[in-house]
Amino acid sequence: MNHTTRKWSLRLVVTLYLGLLVGLPVGYLFIEAFSHGFHAFWVEVTKPDAIAALKLSAEVALIAVPVNTLVGVGAALVLARRKFFGSRALTLAFDIPVAVSPIIIGVALVLAYSRIGWFGSWLSTHGIQILFSPVGIVMATMAVSLPYVLRSVLPVLIEVGKDQEDAARTLGAGAFRTFWQVTLPAIRWGVLYGVTLTIARTLGEFGAVLVVSGNITGKTQTLPIYIYDAWDQNYDTVGAFAGALVLASISIVALIILSTLRARERKLHVDLA
Amino acid sequence: MSISLSHLTKRYGDDAVVDDVNVEIAEGSLTAVLGPSGSGKSTLLKLIAGLENPDEGRVVIEGDDVTDIDPRHRDIGFCFQHYAPFRHMNVARNIGFGLRVRKQPKNVIDAKVAELIELVRLDGKSKSFPAQLSGGERQRMALARALAIEPRVLLLDEPFGALDAQVRAELRQWVKELHQQIKVTTILVTHDQDEAMEVADQLLIMHEGRIEQAGEPTELYERPATEFVHRFLGPTTMFKGVSVRPHDLELVAPSEGAIEGTVQSVMELGFEVQATIALSDGSTPWVQMSRNEFRILNVGVGSAVSIRERI
Repeated sequence: MNHTTRKWSLRLVVTLYLGLLVGLPVGYLFIEAFSHGFHAFWVEVTKPDAIAALKLSAEVALIAVPVNTLVGVGAALVLARRKFFGSRALTLAFDIPVAVSPIIIGVALVLAYSRIGWFGSWLSTHGIQILFSPVGIVMATMAVSLPYVLRSVLPVLIEVGKDQEDAARTLGAGAFRTFWQVTLPAIRWGVLYGVTLTIARTLGEFGAVLVVSGNITGKTQTLPIYIYDAWDQNYDTVGAFAGALVLASISIVALIILSTLRARERKLHVDLA
Repeated sequence: MSISLSHLTKRYGDDAVVDDVNVEIAEGSLTAVLGPSGSGKSTLLKLIAGLENPDEGRVVIEGDDVTDIDPRHRDIGFCFQHYAPFRHMNVARNIGFGLRVRKQPKNVIDAKVAELIELVRLDGKSKSFPAQLSGGERQRMALARALAIEPRVLLLDEPFGALDAQVRAELRQWVKELHQQIKVTTILVTHDQDEAMEVADQLLIMHEGRIEQAGEPTELYERPATEFVHRFLGPTTMFKGVSVRPHDLELVAPSEGAIEGTVQSVMELGFEVQATIALSDGSTPWVQMSRNEFRILNVGVGSAVSIRERI
Protein backbone atom coordinates (compact mmCIF):
# COMPACT_ATOMS: atom_id res chain seq x y z
CA MET A 1 0.00 0.00 0.00
CA ASN A 2 1.48 3.35 -0.93
CA HIS A 3 1.43 6.41 1.27
CA THR A 4 -1.66 8.08 -0.26
CA THR A 5 -3.82 4.95 -0.17
CA ARG A 6 -2.84 4.33 3.41
CA LYS A 7 -3.66 7.91 4.37
CA TRP A 8 -7.07 7.77 2.70
CA SER A 9 -8.03 4.35 4.01
CA LEU A 10 -7.13 5.49 7.53
CA ARG A 11 -9.36 8.53 7.10
CA LEU A 12 -12.17 6.36 5.81
CA VAL A 13 -11.96 4.04 8.82
CA VAL A 14 -12.02 6.97 11.26
CA THR A 15 -14.91 8.64 9.43
CA LEU A 16 -16.93 5.43 9.32
CA TYR A 17 -16.28 4.76 12.98
CA LEU A 18 -17.32 8.27 14.05
CA GLY A 19 -20.22 8.18 11.61
CA LEU A 20 -21.66 5.00 13.08
CA LEU A 21 -21.16 6.11 16.68
CA VAL A 22 -21.93 9.83 16.50
CA GLY A 23 -22.98 11.06 13.06
CA LEU A 24 -25.80 8.64 12.29
CA PRO A 25 -27.57 8.79 15.70
CA VAL A 26 -27.29 12.57 16.01
CA GLY A 27 -28.39 12.99 12.39
CA TYR A 28 -31.45 10.82 13.00
CA LEU A 29 -32.22 12.87 16.07
CA PHE A 30 -32.43 16.01 13.94
CA ILE A 31 -34.53 14.32 11.28
CA GLU A 32 -36.99 12.72 13.71
CA ALA A 33 -37.36 15.82 15.89
CA PHE A 34 -38.51 17.75 12.82
CA SER A 35 -40.36 14.82 11.19
CA HIS A 36 -43.74 16.44 11.79
CA GLY A 37 -42.51 19.89 10.85
CA PHE A 38 -41.03 22.72 12.85
CA HIS A 39 -44.41 23.60 14.34
CA ALA A 40 -44.82 20.18 15.96
CA PHE A 41 -41.28 20.47 17.33
CA TRP A 42 -42.03 23.89 18.77
CA VAL A 43 -45.27 22.69 20.39
CA GLU A 44 -43.35 19.85 22.03
CA VAL A 45 -40.54 21.95 23.44
CA THR A 46 -42.92 24.63 24.75
CA LYS A 47 -45.17 22.22 26.65
CA PRO A 48 -45.31 23.32 30.33
CA ASP A 49 -43.71 20.08 31.57
CA ALA A 50 -40.93 20.37 29.01
CA ILE A 51 -40.30 24.00 29.95
CA ALA A 52 -40.33 23.08 33.65
CA ALA A 53 -37.79 20.30 33.01
CA LEU A 54 -35.54 22.60 30.98
CA LYS A 55 -35.78 25.26 33.67
CA LEU A 56 -34.89 22.82 36.46
CA SER A 57 -31.93 21.50 34.47
CA ALA A 58 -30.73 25.05 33.86
CA GLU A 59 -31.11 25.94 37.55
CA VAL A 60 -29.23 22.84 38.64
CA ALA A 61 -26.45 23.66 36.16
CA LEU A 62 -26.31 27.27 37.36
CA ILE A 63 -25.54 26.05 40.87
CA ALA A 64 -23.54 22.89 40.18
CA VAL A 65 -21.21 24.29 37.49
CA PRO A 66 -19.90 27.36 39.39
CA VAL A 67 -19.55 25.41 42.65
CA ASN A 68 -17.70 22.54 41.00
CA THR A 69 -15.52 25.01 39.09
CA LEU A 70 -14.48 26.77 42.29
CA VAL A 71 -13.93 23.50 44.13
CA GLY A 72 -12.06 21.99 41.17
CA VAL A 73 -9.72 24.95 40.62
CA GLY A 74 -9.12 25.30 44.36
CA ALA A 75 -8.37 21.62 44.83
CA ALA A 76 -6.10 21.62 41.76
CA LEU A 77 -4.12 24.57 43.16
CA VAL A 78 -3.69 22.86 46.52
CA LEU A 79 -2.74 19.51 44.97
CA ALA A 80 -0.33 21.02 42.43
CA ARG A 81 1.43 23.49 44.71
CA ARG A 82 1.59 21.80 48.08
CA LYS A 83 2.78 18.36 49.01
CA PHE A 84 0.96 17.05 52.03
CA PHE A 85 0.06 13.79 53.67
CA GLY A 86 -3.06 12.33 52.05
CA SER A 87 -2.88 14.34 48.82
CA ARG A 88 -3.07 11.19 46.73
CA ALA A 89 -6.07 9.94 48.69
CA LEU A 90 -7.76 13.29 48.04
CA THR A 91 -7.17 13.06 44.28
CA LEU A 92 -8.59 9.57 44.35
CA ALA A 93 -11.67 10.71 46.27
CA PHE A 94 -12.41 13.20 43.48
CA ASP A 95 -12.38 10.39 40.92
CA ILE A 96 -14.68 7.98 42.75
CA PRO A 97 -17.97 9.58 41.60
CA VAL A 98 -17.11 9.12 37.90
CA ALA A 99 -15.43 5.77 38.37
CA VAL A 100 -18.59 4.12 39.69
CA SER A 101 -21.97 3.95 37.96
CA PRO A 102 -24.16 7.03 38.57
CA ILE A 103 -26.89 4.71 39.86
CA ILE A 104 -24.59 3.79 42.74
CA ILE A 105 -24.09 7.49 43.57
CA GLY A 106 -27.86 7.93 43.57
CA VAL A 107 -28.48 4.90 45.79
CA ALA A 108 -25.68 5.93 48.15
CA LEU A 109 -27.16 9.42 48.46
CA VAL A 110 -30.57 7.93 49.23
CA LEU A 111 -28.99 5.71 51.91
CA ALA A 112 -27.18 8.63 53.48
CA TYR A 113 -29.96 11.20 53.38
CA SER A 114 -33.17 9.19 53.73
CA ARG A 115 -34.55 8.40 57.15
CA ILE A 116 -32.70 5.06 57.02
CA GLY A 117 -29.44 6.81 57.80
CA TRP A 118 -28.72 8.62 61.09
CA PHE A 119 -27.77 11.84 59.29
CA GLY A 120 -30.91 11.76 57.14
CA SER A 121 -33.16 11.16 60.13
CA TRP A 122 -31.41 13.97 62.04
CA LEU A 123 -32.02 16.27 59.07
CA SER A 124 -35.67 15.30 58.74
CA THR A 125 -36.34 15.94 62.45
CA HIS A 126 -35.04 19.44 61.74
CA GLY A 127 -37.39 19.74 58.77
CA ILE A 128 -34.69 19.52 56.08
CA GLN A 129 -35.74 17.49 53.05
CA ILE A 130 -32.93 16.57 50.67
CA LEU A 131 -34.32 13.65 48.69
CA PHE A 132 -37.13 14.15 46.15
CA SER A 133 -36.30 17.86 46.07
CA PRO A 134 -34.14 20.09 43.87
CA VAL A 135 -31.50 20.10 46.66
CA GLY A 136 -31.01 16.36 46.21
CA ILE A 137 -30.82 16.78 42.44
CA VAL A 138 -28.15 19.45 42.79
CA MET A 139 -26.15 17.24 45.17
CA ALA A 140 -26.36 14.21 42.90
CA THR A 141 -25.38 16.33 39.90
CA MET A 142 -22.44 17.93 41.68
CA ALA A 143 -21.22 14.50 42.79
CA VAL A 144 -21.19 13.00 39.30
CA SER A 145 -19.54 16.06 37.73
CA LEU A 146 -17.04 16.58 40.56
CA PRO A 147 -13.64 15.76 38.99
CA TYR A 148 -13.91 17.31 35.50
CA VAL A 149 -12.51 20.74 36.36
CA LEU A 150 -9.87 19.28 38.67
CA ARG A 151 -8.79 16.73 36.07
CA SER A 152 -8.55 19.35 33.29
CA VAL A 153 -6.73 21.93 35.41
CA LEU A 154 -4.29 19.82 37.47
CA PRO A 155 -2.03 18.68 34.61
CA VAL A 156 -1.92 22.23 33.20
CA LEU A 157 -0.92 23.66 36.57
CA ILE A 158 1.83 21.07 36.93
CA GLU A 159 3.02 21.69 33.36
CA VAL A 160 3.06 25.49 33.76
CA GLY A 161 5.01 25.19 37.00
CA LYS A 162 5.46 27.53 39.91
CA ASP A 163 8.01 29.94 38.45
CA GLN A 164 5.57 32.53 37.06
CA GLU A 165 3.79 32.67 40.41
CA ASP A 166 7.10 33.00 42.25
CA ALA A 167 8.15 35.76 39.84
CA ALA A 168 4.91 37.63 40.54
CA ARG A 169 5.55 37.30 44.28
CA THR A 170 9.07 38.71 44.09
CA LEU A 171 7.65 41.60 42.06
CA GLY A 172 5.33 42.37 44.97
CA ALA A 173 2.05 40.76 43.89
CA GLY A 174 -0.22 39.30 46.57
CA ALA A 175 -2.01 35.97 46.34
CA PHE A 176 -5.19 37.50 44.87
CA ARG A 177 -3.46 39.42 42.08
CA THR A 178 -1.13 36.51 41.36
CA PHE A 179 -4.10 34.20 40.91
CA TRP A 180 -6.13 36.52 38.66
CA GLN A 181 -3.31 37.97 36.58
CA VAL A 182 -0.79 35.14 36.42
CA THR A 183 -2.19 31.72 37.37
CA LEU A 184 -5.67 31.96 35.87
CA PRO A 185 -4.56 33.26 32.43
CA ALA A 186 -2.03 30.42 32.31
CA ILE A 187 -4.61 27.73 33.05
CA ARG A 188 -7.68 29.30 31.42
CA TRP A 189 -8.02 26.71 28.65
CA GLY A 190 -7.88 23.92 31.18
CA VAL A 191 -10.57 25.66 33.24
CA LEU A 192 -12.79 26.31 30.20
CA TYR A 193 -12.40 22.76 29.02
CA GLY A 194 -13.29 21.45 32.47
CA VAL A 195 -16.28 23.79 32.67
CA THR A 196 -17.53 22.62 29.27
CA LEU A 197 -17.30 19.00 30.33
CA THR A 198 -19.00 19.84 33.63
CA ILE A 199 -21.86 21.62 31.83
CA ALA A 200 -22.33 18.67 29.49
CA ARG A 201 -22.29 16.17 32.33
CA THR A 202 -24.50 18.33 34.57
CA LEU A 203 -27.19 18.77 31.94
CA GLY A 204 -26.99 15.17 30.84
CA GLU A 205 -26.95 13.33 34.18
CA PHE A 206 -29.69 10.76 34.33
CA GLY A 207 -29.14 7.79 36.64
CA ALA A 208 -28.11 9.45 39.89
CA VAL A 209 -30.72 12.18 39.50
CA LEU A 210 -33.47 9.67 38.69
CA VAL A 211 -32.84 7.82 41.96
CA VAL A 212 -32.78 10.85 44.25
CA SER A 213 -35.41 13.00 42.51
CA GLY A 214 -38.45 10.75 42.81
CA ASN A 215 -39.31 11.79 39.24
CA ILE A 216 -42.22 14.12 40.01
CA THR A 217 -43.37 15.53 36.67
CA GLY A 218 -43.17 19.31 36.54
CA LYS A 219 -41.42 19.42 39.92
CA THR A 220 -38.30 17.26 40.15
CA GLN A 221 -38.00 16.25 36.53
CA THR A 222 -34.83 17.33 34.77
CA LEU A 223 -34.58 17.38 30.99
CA PRO A 224 -32.98 13.92 30.59
CA ILE A 225 -35.64 12.39 32.85
CA TYR A 226 -38.36 14.21 30.93
CA ILE A 227 -37.00 12.74 27.69
CA TYR A 228 -36.92 9.27 29.22
CA ASP A 229 -40.51 9.65 30.43
CA ALA A 230 -41.75 10.92 27.09
CA TRP A 231 -40.04 8.01 25.34
CA ASP A 232 -40.73 5.19 27.76
CA GLN A 233 -43.94 6.07 29.59
CA ASN A 234 -45.90 8.34 27.26
CA TYR A 235 -44.89 6.94 23.85
CA ASP A 236 -44.37 10.56 22.79
CA THR A 237 -41.51 10.03 20.33
CA VAL A 238 -41.59 13.52 18.85
CA GLY A 239 -41.49 14.97 22.38
CA ALA A 240 -38.56 12.74 23.31
CA PHE A 241 -36.65 13.61 20.15
CA ALA A 242 -37.39 17.31 20.53
CA GLY A 243 -36.17 17.32 24.13
CA ALA A 244 -33.11 15.28 23.19
CA LEU A 245 -32.31 17.69 20.38
CA VAL A 246 -32.46 20.68 22.74
CA LEU A 247 -30.21 18.91 25.22
CA ALA A 248 -27.73 17.78 22.58
CA SER A 249 -27.65 21.24 20.98
CA ILE A 250 -26.68 22.98 24.22
CA SER A 251 -23.69 20.71 24.72
CA ILE A 252 -22.65 20.84 21.06
CA VAL A 253 -22.86 24.64 21.04
CA ALA A 254 -20.74 24.79 24.20
CA LEU A 255 -18.07 22.62 22.55
CA ILE A 256 -18.15 24.70 19.35
CA ILE A 257 -17.74 27.95 21.31
CA LEU A 258 -14.79 26.49 23.20
CA SER A 259 -12.97 25.29 20.09
CA THR A 260 -13.63 28.55 18.21
CA LEU A 261 -12.23 30.67 21.04
CA ARG A 262 -9.23 28.44 21.25
CA ALA A 263 -8.56 28.56 17.52
CA ARG A 264 -8.72 32.35 17.57
CA GLU A 265 -6.34 32.50 20.51
CA ARG A 266 -3.88 30.21 18.71
CA LYS A 267 -3.85 32.59 15.77
CA LEU A 268 -2.72 35.38 18.08
CA HIS A 269 0.38 33.31 19.02
CA VAL A 270 -0.35 33.98 22.65
CA ASP A 271 -0.72 30.45 23.83
CA LEU A 272 2.41 29.01 22.26
CA ALA A 273 5.89 28.61 23.69
CA MET B 1 27.27 45.06 53.93
CA SER B 2 24.41 44.67 51.50
CA ILE B 3 23.53 41.08 52.26
CA SER B 4 24.56 39.12 55.27
CA LEU B 5 23.66 35.51 55.86
CA SER B 6 24.29 33.90 59.23
CA HIS B 7 24.03 30.22 60.08
CA LEU B 8 21.63 29.78 57.19
CA THR B 9 20.42 26.18 56.99
CA LYS B 10 17.79 24.45 54.88
CA ARG B 11 16.94 20.78 55.24
CA TYR B 12 14.81 18.50 53.13
CA GLY B 13 14.13 15.64 55.49
CA ASP B 14 17.47 14.75 57.08
CA ASP B 15 19.42 16.19 54.19
CA ALA B 16 20.89 19.67 54.70
CA VAL B 17 20.85 21.27 51.22
CA VAL B 18 22.18 24.51 52.65
CA ASP B 19 24.31 23.85 55.72
CA ASP B 20 25.27 26.63 58.14
CA VAL B 21 26.17 29.25 55.54
CA ASN B 22 27.78 32.47 56.81
CA VAL B 23 28.44 35.09 54.13
CA GLU B 24 28.80 38.85 53.82
CA ILE B 25 28.17 40.37 50.42
CA ALA B 26 29.42 43.89 49.73
CA GLU B 27 27.24 46.70 48.44
CA GLY B 28 27.39 46.96 44.65
CA SER B 29 29.37 43.76 44.14
CA LEU B 30 28.72 41.10 41.53
CA THR B 31 29.07 37.77 43.27
CA ALA B 32 28.93 34.40 41.60
CA VAL B 33 27.86 31.37 43.61
CA LEU B 34 29.68 28.53 41.92
CA GLY B 35 29.24 24.85 42.57
CA PRO B 36 28.36 21.53 40.98
CA SER B 37 24.69 20.67 40.56
CA GLY B 38 23.12 19.65 43.83
CA SER B 39 25.52 21.78 45.86
CA GLY B 40 22.66 23.90 47.18
CA LYS B 41 23.42 27.10 45.29
CA SER B 42 19.94 27.59 43.80
CA THR B 43 18.37 26.89 47.19
CA LEU B 44 20.67 29.51 48.73
CA LEU B 45 19.38 32.06 46.20
CA LYS B 46 15.76 31.15 46.93
CA LEU B 47 16.41 31.50 50.67
CA ILE B 48 17.69 35.05 50.10
CA ALA B 49 14.62 35.85 47.99
CA GLY B 50 12.26 34.27 50.51
CA LEU B 51 10.93 31.71 48.03
CA GLU B 52 12.18 29.06 50.46
CA ASN B 53 12.11 29.34 54.23
CA PRO B 54 15.25 28.47 56.20
CA ASP B 55 15.17 25.96 59.05
CA GLU B 56 17.82 27.98 60.87
CA GLY B 57 19.72 31.22 60.44
CA ARG B 58 19.00 34.80 59.38
CA VAL B 59 18.93 36.75 56.12
CA VAL B 60 19.79 40.44 56.52
CA ILE B 61 19.51 42.84 53.59
CA GLU B 62 20.88 46.37 54.01
CA GLY B 63 20.60 46.07 57.77
CA ASP B 64 17.00 44.80 57.77
CA ASP B 65 16.39 41.29 59.01
CA VAL B 66 14.06 39.94 56.30
CA THR B 67 14.06 36.29 57.40
CA ASP B 68 10.38 36.37 58.34
CA ILE B 69 9.31 38.79 55.62
CA ASP B 70 7.30 37.61 52.61
CA PRO B 71 9.18 37.72 49.28
CA ARG B 72 6.75 40.32 47.99
CA HIS B 73 8.04 42.86 50.51
CA ARG B 74 11.75 42.14 50.17
CA ASP B 75 12.40 44.37 47.12
CA ILE B 76 14.43 41.71 45.41
CA GLY B 77 14.80 41.29 41.68
CA PHE B 78 14.81 37.61 40.86
CA CYS B 79 15.57 36.12 37.44
CA PHE B 80 14.57 32.51 37.07
CA GLN B 81 16.56 29.87 35.28
CA HIS B 82 13.88 29.54 32.59
CA TYR B 83 13.04 33.26 32.85
CA ALA B 84 9.42 32.62 33.97
CA PRO B 85 7.94 35.14 31.52
CA PHE B 86 4.24 35.88 31.91
CA ARG B 87 3.32 34.19 28.65
CA HIS B 88 0.02 35.93 28.13
CA MET B 89 1.50 39.43 28.54
CA ASN B 90 3.56 41.26 25.95
CA VAL B 91 7.08 42.52 26.68
CA ALA B 92 5.96 45.94 27.90
CA ARG B 93 3.34 44.50 30.23
CA ASN B 94 5.79 41.92 31.57
CA ILE B 95 8.32 44.63 32.40
CA GLY B 96 5.68 46.92 33.90
CA PHE B 97 4.14 44.23 36.14
CA GLY B 98 5.99 45.19 39.33
CA LEU B 99 5.22 48.88 38.75
CA ARG B 100 1.50 48.17 38.32
CA VAL B 101 1.59 46.20 41.56
CA ARG B 102 3.12 49.30 43.18
CA LYS B 103 0.24 51.39 41.82
CA GLN B 104 2.48 53.80 39.94
CA PRO B 105 0.71 56.27 37.62
CA LYS B 106 0.42 55.12 34.02
CA ASN B 107 2.72 57.79 32.56
CA VAL B 108 5.44 56.89 35.09
CA ILE B 109 5.11 53.20 34.22
CA ASP B 110 5.21 53.89 30.47
CA ALA B 111 8.32 56.06 30.78
CA LYS B 112 10.12 53.54 32.99
CA VAL B 113 9.20 50.61 30.72
CA ALA B 114 10.44 52.50 27.65
CA GLU B 115 13.71 53.28 29.42
CA LEU B 116 14.21 49.65 30.43
CA ILE B 117 13.36 48.34 26.96
CA GLU B 118 16.15 50.52 25.64
CA LEU B 119 18.53 49.47 28.43
CA VAL B 120 18.06 45.76 27.67
CA ARG B 121 18.06 46.40 23.92
CA LEU B 122 14.58 45.15 23.15
CA ASP B 123 13.65 48.18 21.03
CA GLY B 124 10.73 47.43 18.73
CA LYS B 125 9.78 44.33 20.71
CA SER B 126 7.52 45.95 23.31
CA LYS B 127 4.35 44.51 21.77
CA SER B 128 5.80 41.04 21.19
CA PHE B 129 4.78 38.09 23.32
CA PRO B 130 7.39 35.91 25.04
CA ALA B 131 6.67 33.10 22.58
CA GLN B 132 7.90 35.35 19.77
CA LEU B 133 11.24 36.12 21.42
CA SER B 134 14.53 34.23 21.24
CA GLY B 135 16.04 32.76 24.39
CA GLY B 136 18.43 35.69 24.83
CA GLU B 137 15.63 38.21 24.35
CA ARG B 138 13.47 36.46 26.94
CA GLN B 139 16.38 36.52 29.34
CA ARG B 140 16.84 40.28 28.83
CA MET B 141 13.10 40.85 29.25
CA ALA B 142 13.16 38.95 32.55
CA LEU B 143 16.10 41.07 33.65
CA ALA B 144 14.26 44.29 32.76
CA ARG B 145 11.18 43.07 34.63
CA ALA B 146 13.29 42.43 37.74
CA LEU B 147 15.09 45.77 37.44
CA ALA B 148 11.85 47.74 37.00
CA ILE B 149 11.10 47.66 40.71
CA GLU B 150 14.55 49.14 41.47
CA PRO B 151 15.46 46.18 43.67
CA ARG B 152 17.91 46.39 46.54
CA VAL B 153 19.44 43.13 45.35
CA LEU B 154 19.39 41.35 42.00
CA LEU B 155 19.44 37.54 42.07
CA LEU B 156 20.08 35.54 38.89
CA ASP B 157 19.56 31.78 38.90
CA GLU B 158 21.70 30.12 36.20
CA PRO B 159 21.09 33.14 33.96
CA PHE B 160 22.83 31.77 30.89
CA GLY B 161 22.16 28.08 31.40
CA ALA B 162 19.59 27.57 28.67
CA LEU B 163 21.31 29.54 25.89
CA ASP B 164 23.59 28.40 23.09
CA ALA B 165 27.33 29.09 23.38
CA GLN B 166 27.56 32.27 21.32
CA VAL B 167 24.53 34.03 22.85
CA ARG B 168 25.87 33.01 26.24
CA ALA B 169 29.21 34.67 25.70
CA GLU B 170 27.60 37.89 24.45
CA LEU B 171 25.07 38.01 27.23
CA ARG B 172 27.54 37.51 30.05
CA GLN B 173 29.71 40.32 28.75
CA TRP B 174 26.58 42.44 28.53
CA VAL B 175 25.50 41.58 32.09
CA LYS B 176 28.94 42.59 33.31
CA GLU B 177 28.68 45.95 31.51
CA LEU B 178 25.13 46.43 32.74
CA HIS B 179 26.26 45.84 36.30
CA GLN B 180 29.00 48.45 35.95
CA GLN B 181 26.34 50.83 34.67
CA ILE B 182 23.69 50.34 37.37
CA LYS B 183 25.76 49.00 40.29
CA VAL B 184 23.01 47.02 41.97
CA THR B 185 24.28 44.32 44.32
CA THR B 186 24.00 41.15 42.24
CA ILE B 187 24.34 37.48 43.02
CA LEU B 188 24.34 34.97 40.22
CA VAL B 189 24.31 31.22 40.49
CA THR B 190 26.21 29.11 38.00
CA HIS B 191 27.88 25.73 37.64
CA ASP B 192 30.22 27.05 34.94
CA GLN B 193 33.59 28.18 36.34
CA ASP B 194 34.58 30.13 33.19
CA GLU B 195 31.37 32.09 33.40
CA ALA B 196 31.89 32.84 37.09
CA MET B 197 35.54 33.87 36.59
CA GLU B 198 34.66 36.12 33.68
CA VAL B 199 31.64 37.92 35.10
CA ALA B 200 32.03 38.10 38.86
CA ASP B 201 34.20 40.23 41.10
CA GLN B 202 33.55 37.91 44.06
CA LEU B 203 33.21 34.12 44.10
CA LEU B 204 31.50 31.82 46.56
CA ILE B 205 32.36 28.19 46.01
CA MET B 206 29.65 25.86 47.27
CA HIS B 207 29.97 22.17 47.89
CA GLU B 208 27.45 19.90 49.59
CA GLY B 209 25.52 22.82 51.05
CA ARG B 210 28.55 24.55 52.52
CA ILE B 211 30.67 27.48 51.42
CA GLU B 212 34.10 26.03 50.60
CA GLN B 213 35.78 29.37 50.00
CA ALA B 214 34.88 32.98 49.29
CA GLY B 215 36.98 35.71 47.72
CA GLU B 216 38.13 37.30 44.48
CA PRO B 217 38.39 35.00 41.46
CA THR B 218 42.18 35.28 40.99
CA GLU B 219 42.81 34.82 44.69
CA LEU B 220 40.76 31.61 44.72
CA TYR B 221 42.36 30.36 41.54
CA GLU B 222 45.86 30.96 42.81
CA ARG B 223 45.37 30.06 46.46
CA PRO B 224 42.58 27.51 46.72
CA ALA B 225 41.84 26.69 50.36
CA THR B 226 40.72 23.14 49.69
CA GLU B 227 41.35 20.38 47.21
CA PHE B 228 37.74 20.77 46.04
CA VAL B 229 38.19 24.45 45.14
CA HIS B 230 41.43 23.66 43.36
CA ARG B 231 39.79 20.95 41.26
CA PHE B 232 36.63 22.89 40.63
CA LEU B 233 38.14 26.18 39.48
CA GLY B 234 40.21 24.85 36.63
CA PRO B 235 41.71 21.78 35.00
CA THR B 236 43.98 19.61 37.13
CA THR B 237 46.29 16.69 36.48
CA MET B 238 48.30 14.39 38.76
CA PHE B 239 52.06 14.92 38.66
CA LYS B 240 54.49 13.37 41.14
CA GLY B 241 51.52 12.32 43.25
CA VAL B 242 50.05 15.81 43.65
CA SER B 243 47.35 17.62 41.74
CA VAL B 244 48.61 20.53 39.63
CA ARG B 245 47.30 22.76 36.83
CA PRO B 246 48.26 21.34 33.41
CA HIS B 247 49.42 24.80 32.28
CA ASP B 248 51.91 24.80 35.17
CA LEU B 249 53.72 21.87 33.52
CA GLU B 250 55.96 22.03 30.47
CA LEU B 251 57.58 19.65 28.01
CA VAL B 252 61.25 19.93 27.17
CA ALA B 253 63.71 17.98 25.02
CA PRO B 254 64.73 14.68 26.73
CA SER B 255 67.46 14.44 29.38
CA GLU B 256 67.64 17.89 30.83
CA GLY B 257 67.37 16.67 34.38
CA ALA B 258 63.58 16.33 34.12
CA ILE B 259 61.38 13.24 34.31
CA GLU B 260 61.33 11.29 31.05
CA GLY B 261 58.32 9.85 29.30
CA THR B 262 56.68 9.33 25.91
CA VAL B 263 53.91 11.30 24.24
CA GLN B 264 50.80 9.14 24.49
CA SER B 265 48.28 11.36 22.74
CA VAL B 266 47.96 14.89 21.40
CA MET B 267 44.79 16.98 21.15
CA GLU B 268 44.94 20.22 19.17
CA LEU B 269 42.20 22.67 20.13
CA GLY B 270 42.98 25.66 17.95
CA PHE B 271 45.35 27.87 19.92
CA GLU B 272 45.67 25.34 22.71
CA VAL B 273 47.36 21.95 22.58
CA GLN B 274 46.93 19.22 25.20
CA ALA B 275 49.46 16.41 25.31
CA THR B 276 49.23 13.34 27.54
CA ILE B 277 52.54 11.91 28.62
CA ALA B 278 53.12 8.33 29.78
CA LEU B 279 55.75 8.19 32.54
CA SER B 280 57.76 5.18 33.70
CA ASP B 281 55.93 5.10 37.05
CA GLY B 282 52.67 4.43 35.13
CA SER B 283 51.18 7.91 35.67
CA THR B 284 49.85 9.89 32.70
CA PRO B 285 49.85 13.65 33.42
CA TRP B 286 48.68 15.98 30.68
CA VAL B 287 50.26 19.27 29.72
CA GLN B 288 48.55 22.34 28.37
CA MET B 289 50.57 24.61 26.07
CA SER B 290 50.17 27.02 23.20
CA ARG B 291 50.25 25.89 19.62
CA ASN B 292 53.56 27.70 19.10
CA GLU B 293 55.26 25.98 22.02
CA PHE B 294 54.13 22.66 20.66
CA ARG B 295 55.45 23.42 17.14
CA ILE B 296 58.86 24.41 18.49
CA LEU B 297 59.13 21.15 20.47
CA ASN B 298 58.64 19.26 17.22
CA VAL B 299 57.30 16.05 18.80
CA GLY B 300 54.42 13.69 18.02
CA VAL B 301 52.74 10.61 19.46
CA GLY B 302 55.46 8.14 20.56
CA SER B 303 58.24 10.76 20.87
CA ALA B 304 60.44 10.74 23.95
CA VAL B 305 60.10 13.95 25.98
CA SER B 306 60.82 15.23 29.44
CA ILE B 307 58.28 16.87 31.65
CA ARG B 308 58.77 19.38 34.50
CA GLU B 309 57.01 22.10 36.41
CA ARG B 310 57.27 25.58 34.91
CA ILE B 311 59.37 27.99 36.89
